[in-house]
Amino acid sequence: MRVTEAVPNGRIAEVYNPVLFQKHEEVIVFPREEFNRTCSSIREQIDYINKVDMHLDKVEEWKLLDYWTKILERINILDINMNLIFKKEPVQCYLDAYLYDTIRRSEKKIAVSESKVSVQLKHSI
Amino acid sequence: MRYSYGIMDERKILLYKPHLFLKGNDLLIFPSKDFHKWHGDIKEYIDGLYQINSINLEKGKSININELNLASGLLTNITDELEHLFNAKRVSDSSYQYVSTLDEEYTKRRRQWYTSDMMKCDMRIPVKPSINPWIQHQNMMEIIDHATGEFIMARKKKSKKLTDPSN
Repeated sequence: MRVTEAVPNGRIAEVYNPVLFQKHEEVIVFPREEFNRTCSSIREQIDYINKVDMHLDKVEEWKLLDYWTKILERINILDINMNLIFKKEPVQCYLDAYLYDTIRRSEKKIAVSESKVSVQLKHSI
Repeated sequence: MRYSYGIMDERKILLYKPHLFLKGNDLLIFPSKDFHKWHGDIKEYIDGLYQINSINLEKGKSININELNLASGLLTNITDELEHLFNAKRVSDSSYQYVSTLDEEYTKRRRQWYTSDMMKCDMRIPVKPSINPWIQHQNMMEIIDHATGEFIMARKKKSKKLTDPSN
């Protein structure tokens, strides 16, 4: 599917890659953070279900029901996320977005230190 | 989620609901018909999964391997559809559109007691320790150690053959 990013500017959105779309084509517009959060959540649920599936020892059938219940929980979250895309309610991710927000550089000038201070970089894994 | 439709006009998009988006927001733009088709496809697969579960409920809470394999197949389809979302070359087939008519009752979550198998399921699956570079390094070291061991064994056998007095 053709995707592009854009920046809103009053009544219009300025598109980064306008060549992709044809003239007078109808488009749908989402905020990138909210869509990203929903998409990541969907991928997480699918990953979890795949992990359960891979770890399942398919010989022991009597255990399957409990594993199925776990899978069903995640399918439910998947369904909720898909419904969320077209709901008009605010998304949980407003809390998430705050945590990952970048710290903006302040306008004040930072004084240059008089003496040179050496920095030791610790090799962190 | 806040969303608005818009129309493409001379390299810009005219938004139908511009009041929703603040100046600093980044936006993601999809063609609206393709996006609805994509959404409908994934909803179809999820409804399929709920249908498998409904058989399970009617039968009296038992599930067999075939149904699990079926669910696993549906999940692979969902993963594929997710990949296709950002694949510009893929053309969506607009010959039909799925609208979900699944009754709410089937998606309702029933209260489940946390059984011992569910706990084993939670403990066995390595969801918590995330794969970081240290674990990757350990894994590589283990493989290298094993390989050197095998190599040394092979060399010993070879040298034994050469120095064998019967040769």
